Amino acid sequence: MVHVRAALAGAGGVNVVIDRPEARRLPSRHRFALARLIAYAKLRGASAAVNHAERLILPIDRDQTAAEMHGMAIWIFVTTVCYVAAMLPMIWPVAIVAAVPIAAIALHFPIVVIGPIVRLLIGDGDHVKIISVFTMALLVIASSYIAASHTWARYVAWLFFAVFILNAAAAAVAWLLRDRIRAAEERCAR
Amino acid sequence: MRGVVWRKLLRFAILNVPPWIEPIVIAFWSAFFLLWGPGRRGVMRNLKVIKPGSIGIVNFFRCYRVFWNYAWTIADNVRFKELRTIPDWEFAGWGHFQAMQASNGAILLTAHMGSYDLGAQLFSETSTRRIVMVRAPEEDLETRAFEEHHGAEGLRIEFNTRASELAFDLLETVRDGAIVAIQGDRVVGSISTLPATFFGRTASVPAGPFALALAARVPIYPVFVVRIGRRRYRLITSRPIEITRSRNRDDDFARAVAQWMTELETVVRGCWQQWFTFEPLWPEPAA
Repeated sequence: MVHVRAALAGAGGVNVVIDRPEARRLPSRHRFALARLIAYAKLRGASAAVNHAERLILPIDRDQTAAEMHGMAIWIFVTTVCYVAAMLPMIWPVAIVAAVPIAAIALHFPIVVIGPIVRLLIGDGDHVKIISVFTMALLVIASSYIAASHTWARYVAWLFFAVFILNAAAAAVAWLLRDRIRAAEERCAR
Repeated sequence: MRGVVWRKLLRFAILNVPPWIEPIVIAFWSAFFLLWGPGRRGVMRNLKVIKPGSIGIVNFFRCYRVFWNYAWTIADNVRFKELRTIPDWEFAGWGHFQAMQASNGAILLTAHMGSYDLGAQLFSETSTRRIVMVRAPEEDLETRAFEEHHGAEGLRIEFNTRASELAFDLLETVRDGAIVAIQGDRVVGSISTLPATFFGRTASVPAGPFALALAARVPIYPVFVVRIGRRRYRLITSRPIEITRSRNRDDDFARAVAQWMTELETVVRGCWQQWFTFEPLWPEPAA
C-alpha cells in the first residue's frame, strides 16, 4: 500500500494501491458490512486478477465500489417506488408508473430540506454522513409504517428490514473477523 | 448551462448527497437536463455525424448517456476539489506518458472528454512538471471567481482571452520545461484556427497548440481522460505529434493536424458518450 499524502498535497492522507488489480476486492473499498463480508470472501478465494491496464492506481475509499453503490441505489429506489405506489389511489400498474418520478423527487427530500438546516447549524462542509443517517432513519420510519399496513407494499418493507437485519449480522461477523480481514488486506496490498 | 448557480448547486450536492443514493440523483438530473433544448439538439446533431445513419429517437437516448456521463464526471471533479476523493486510475500508453513527464517542455493536447479537469488537477499534484491549463474563459465574472476560488492548488489556469500576450507567456512557460494543457477539439470564441477533416467533414481546430509546439520545438502529446465506470477513469496517452519545420509551414501544420484528428476521431468514435460538445460542431444540418 502506498501512502500518497506527500504526492497529493492536502489530500488528507489517501491510501492507494498501485498495480494490484485484486485490490479492487479489498473490504475497505466497501461501505456496508454485508458488502465488506462478501468482498472478504472473494478476496480469500481469489486468484491473481488480470490486469488489463499498463498502470493502475486504486484508492482505498469506502464508497469506491460501483456494484455496491449502484445495487444499493436501485434497491432503495425500487423500495421507495413501491411505498409511493402503495399510497397512491390508483390501480397498481398505473400507480407504479406514477410513483417512479415521485419517488425520485421524494429521495431528494433529506438532501434539500435537511442539508440547508445542517449547514445553518454547523456551517459549510461535508455533511454526507449526517444526511446519510437522516435518510436511512426516514427510510426506517417509512418502512415501519408500511410494514404494519395491509397494502401489498408491506412485503417490500419486510424485505427492507430483513436486509437491514442481515447487514447488522454481517457487521457483527465482520467485527469478529476484523483481524483476519486486516491481515488479508495487508497481504493483498503489500 | 452558464451561471454560477449550477456550480453552487453541484457543490452543495457533493457535500450533501449520500453516495448510495447518488446514482438516483444523477439519473434524475440527467433526465431533467434533457429539457435543455440547445444542448440536447447540439449533442444529437453531433451524434448524427459520428454515427452516420443513426435515427433521432436512438440519438435521444444516446444524448441521455452523454448527459449521464457528464453529470458523473463533473461530480467527480468537484468531489476531488472539495473532498480530495480520487477515483481509480488506469493508464494506457504509459511509455508516452512517462516520456511527456520527462520531456523538457511539452504540449498536452486533449479534448472535451471524460474528466479533463480532474485529469489536469491530478497531474498538477502528482507531476514533477508544472502544468498550465489553457481554457475558454468563463463569460460570467461571478462564475470565474467561483472557479478560481475552488480550483486545485498548484494548477495554473490561463484563459484564452488575450491571445497575443498569452502566446508569449505560454512560449516562455514551455521553454522553462512546463507542460501546457490545451483542449484542441473545438474552437471557442475568436481565436485563430486551422482547417481539419473530422469524421469526413470540414472542421476547424485551434491553431494555438500547433503554433506553440512549432515555436517552442516541443512535442504535442494527445491525452484523453475517459470515464470507464463509477469513479474509474482511463488515461490514454497517444504517440507524440512532432512538428518538423520545412519550407512550407502550412504543410507542417496540416500533417500535425491530420495526426491529431486521427487520434481524436478514434477516441470519439469509441467513446461518443463522453464527448461533451453541447454545441453543434458542424453548423450545417447533417445530410
